[in-house]
Amino acid sequence: MSSANLKSTLVTILIACVATAIINFTLTSYWVFLFTGAVVAAIALLGVGLVASRAGMISLCQMSFAAIGAWVVAWLNVKHAPGSLLLWVLLGGLAAVPFGIAIGLPALRLRGINLAIVTLGFAAAFDVILLSYTFPGQTKFIFVKRPDLFSSDQAYFALCVAVFVILAIALNLLSQTPLGASWLALRHSERGTAAHGVSIPQSKLSAFALSAFIAGLSGGLLAGQLGTLVAESFTLMVSMVYFVVTTMAGAHLAEGAIFGGMLIIFFPEVLRRLNLPQDIGNVFFALGATQALSMGGTMAEDLRGLFRKIFKGKEIVASGFTEDAALVAVVPPAVKANAKAMLDIKNLTVRYGSVVALNDVSFAVPEGSVVGLIGPNGAGKSTLIDGVTGFLATYDGTVLLDGQKLDGLLAHLRARAGIRRTWQQTRIAPQLSVGDYLTLAASRRLKAEESEELLLWMGCPGPQTAISQIDAGTRRLLDVAGVIAARPKIVLLDEPAAGLSHQESTQLAARIAQIPARFGTSVLMVEHDMDLVRMVCNTIFVLDFGKIIASGPTQKVLDDPRVIKAYIGDPEGLAT
Amino acid sequence: MSALRVENLFVNRAGLPVVRNASLIVDEGTITVLLGANGAGKTTLLEGIAGAVASSGGVIRLGDIYVEKLGPSRRAKAGLSLIEQGRAVFVDLTVEENLEVARHDEASTDEVFKIFPELVQRRHVKSGLLSGGEQQMLLIGRSLLARPKVLLIDEMSLGLAPLIVQRLMKLVAELSRQGLSVLLVEQFASLALAVGHRAYVLRHGHIAYDGTCKELRDDPQKLHHLYFGE
Amino acid sequence: MFTSTVAGLAAGGAYALIGVCLVFTYRLVSVVNFTGAAIGATGTFAMVMLREQGFSLPFSILAGLACGTVIAALLGAVMMKWFASAPAQTKAAVTVALLVGMIALGLRITGGQHPRPFPDLVPGSAFTLAGVVITRAALVTISLAFIFTIAATRFLNRTRMGLQLRALSERPVSAELIGIPVRKLSIGVWATAGIATTLALMIIAPQRAPNFLTFSMLVVPAFAAALIGGFRSFWLTLAGGIALGLLEGMAAGLSGLAQFRSAVPFLIILAVLLWSQRRARWDEQR
Repeated sequence: MSSANLKSTLVTILIACVATAIINFTLTSYWVFLFTGAVVAAIALLGVGLVASRAGMISLCQMSFAAIGAWVVAWLNVKHAPGSLLLWVLLGGLAAVPFGIAIGLPALRLRGINLAIVTLGFAAAFDVILLSYTFPGQTKFIFVKRPDLFSSDQAYFALCVAVFVILAIALNLLSQTPLGASWLALRHSERGTAAHGVSIPQSKLSAFALSAFIAGLSGGLLAGQLGTLVAESFTLMVSMVYFVVTTMAGAHLAEGAIFGGMLIIFFPEVLRRLNLPQDIGNVFFALGATQALSMGGTMAEDLRGLFRKIFKGKEIVASGFTEDAALVAVVPPAVKANAKAMLDIKNLTVRYGSVVALNDVSFAVPEGSVVGLIGPNGAGKSTLIDGVTGFLATYDGTVLLDGQKLDGLLAHLRARAGIRRTWQQTRIAPQLSVGDYLTLAASRRLKAEESEELLLWMGCPGPQTAISQIDAGTRRLLDVAGVIAARPKIVLLDEPAAGLSHQESTQLAARIAQIPARFGTSVLMVEHDMDLVRMVCNTIFVLDFGKIIASGPTQKVLDDPRVIKAYIGDPEGLAT
Repeated sequence: MSALRVENLFVNRAGLPVVRNASLIVDEGTITVLLGANGAGKTTLLEGIAGAVASSGGVIRLGDIYVEKLGPSRRAKAGLSLIEQGRAVFVDLTVEENLEVARHDEASTDEVFKIFPELVQRRHVKSGLLSGGEQQMLLIGRSLLARPKVLLIDEMSLGLAPLIVQRLMKLVAELSRQGLSVLLVEQFASLALAVGHRAYVLRHGHIAYDGTCKELRDDPQKLHHLYFGE
Repeated sequence: MFTSTVAGLAAGGAYALIGVCLVFTYRLVSVVNFTGAAIGATGTFAMVMLREQGFSLPFSILAGLACGTVIAALLGAVMMKWFASAPAQTKAAVTVALLVGMIALGLRITGGQHPRPFPDLVPGSAFTLAGVVITRAALVTISLAFIFTIAATRFLNRTRMGLQLRALSERPVSAELIGIPVRKLSIGVWATAGIATTLALMIIAPQRAPNFLTFSMLVVPAFAAALIGGFRSFWLTLAGGIALGLLEGMAAGLSGLAQFRSAVPFLIILAVLLWSQRRARWDEQR
């Protein structure tokens, strides 16, 4: 565990202990009972937050999962199963997982909307079934038995807080793994995430299954708190309210979940004391969520932003581009004629309906080289990158990476095989930190010195920096740093300098030119900025109307009349 | 009298300042040519003028109305018409429906069929099934039926056969002689310079050249540098 | 068995009509609208409450329809004002939030989940088929669903405004660039869907346990119907909605299955998704 993690973990535990002590020793049992409810709600919200706020999917059946957990606990209690409540709660959580997988499996692939519809359908159906089946022991008033240690309300409150803290810390640590970072990333861009070697269905399904587990836990804890259960605690309406509160509060963060849990329990309590109807609380939640969605942030995120502003000063970190001209691009030496082909494209043909986007394209990128691919708009350059990296449904021809055939492999498998790409527009999720982004991009957690060296070389801010604080130009540098961090065999850079100023692209050029020597990674670069091309490429290929029309040493090709014609039109026409 | 006047325009795309402090003038009844390498910001500049992308600073004057605060449909009503890049026809609509949907009350779809007779027999064909050239004709026709004062054309020649491109260029020249003002973005500079009057060259989002088409025509070396760098 | 299956016809007609409205909204303004049925519920309850206040039935019906239309237009205005360029996922989340708010308010104003008596707008039976009574309500909802489907198709294909809407749904930015008043049209789409849904709910209200929540949740079978139509085809959605109603009716008639009839839409949704997504890999939008 890194020192930053250790610190935040200890702080979380300390805050939880102090809060628990204050509540337990100063408040009456009634209030302790309410706070217990708030913490149990917060645990459920952590699960919703994982799916909704982190992975950006809509799940409307979390309370059905909670009901499954509660049902299992009640059943085990009635059956006098071995072990105690703690074990039963765990089993309840696990019991919800297969349901989560069964529902998630068909819905998670295509549009995220489908998950919303299928979970709504499940919750609606589950409501009716639960009403007719009732909880074990419900009709006979058999109370769920707590272990002696947790029999008092105060002790049970402490137990719930402990479960919450463990979950919050575990989720925080998980969010720094490639899997956890992929959840935030796929909310922003699924293709961009797949390009880092992440299987999108697996990533989504793991998030959904884990959230079902957490929901199941919360249901089991609720069974222990209330003793006897009623179906009304787990209706579709309650699930929707939890989704709405999550959207408003940002329950993927621990403080958001706690805040949301308090809102759910105490807001109606306050309304009750004011002699106002309690269900009006839901109207406020709905308005709050709509407001949060329109602003694109949640209460917890806004709070963290404010915190950062107050204690760390300015919001936008200075750009990674420097004023000094020390960074000068040196074109890497031409590779030996007998160098092996790191990427070998043979007879690549891509058709969109009747349009032929790529027509029998063949070329190779030798190991250790920086090869440029240029051509006028619509020539098929991005299509070529999409095809090679597995983002097209089909193509004809063969793509070999270091002699290994890639055809038929899905994008994330090609990425894992050692071919990485960037996009014309950056697809880095703004909710990530620089360090977590590198973890995601490298598919592993980099050693501190390794990531710091890489970031320093690339001119990117430190790993703790939030992406949202970095200006758009520097994010383009981070794009390149990310693909390099994976140490792939080859990177395909799609217009890395798009949108950069002349000076900025010159500095980017200096770094790209060093990639083969420094990291042993070959580079294929699509670029429009001819100065940049000239600064870093020893060989270029020119694509026009889906065909290679020229290739060879950079300057020679750029002076080729056919290339000039492809760009400017017929040079004959210029004189007349 | 200038039909369109853009002053100190800034346009961002995905947070990046793609157009930086661009100013240009399109005189009434003339063709102004906007050149520049790929990625220089030409499309973004046009979209900023038409309102498809919000500008983050500067002034856009259409005749004597300031339009930079208006939404795209209001700008279209005021007389701006953008022919987008990449043949933005409504592919599920037939040729006739594509024309009908943008038609000004006083205009008739027959005008377009007169200019492009080959579209007549394609009248009831879904425009997604047309060839690239036919789609471009349809787009130009669609724009004309809106009775614009200023026509913004983005990469008209992209991916089209040279013969069709020449014919369309001639048409644009003819339209300007009839009084239409045109801002023409074109990658194939030679064609555009042959018909245009004033020329601008965009590099890294700012205007790097402001002069006449004739000057660029007479000095191909200059143009070569503006595209391929030093 | 046959009798109970046919008893599902009226519900099927309503599912079909609401489903077609959902497809209408999704195709034209690209919003998956979770408030679809709640809008109709609002109008229906407005009608009932006016009736209870002693207003005449025709007046109450008209006012109820107006209420549903206005609510729908308001929601449309909210979506256009703040979420016009938001991704589909965000728009759907907004309608979920608004649905929660509408249900809370609706239950509060209409007196909770206790069912209340509803006037039977189209009472009695239409005719008897092979010994089974076909109610007028069934006939009317199914006719309405057909009429709306035909009218929507014709409107989109034959009128200038329909043309503009199709253009708008295909390329919203291009549509704005050629001067189509996108906002007005989009709100119009919402209002149209609102009035049709309200009418459907008014007619089937007496046959349901009518409270605001169960009405709002009619959006679930309607979604199932819309999924059968791939959120694209009006006719498949229509057929899917009716079939769903019949299937539910059939399940209700089988002893041992009756209590699971409400799971039918869920199972349909699951089946359709399994089938339609067998080859998809990721969200094409992003």
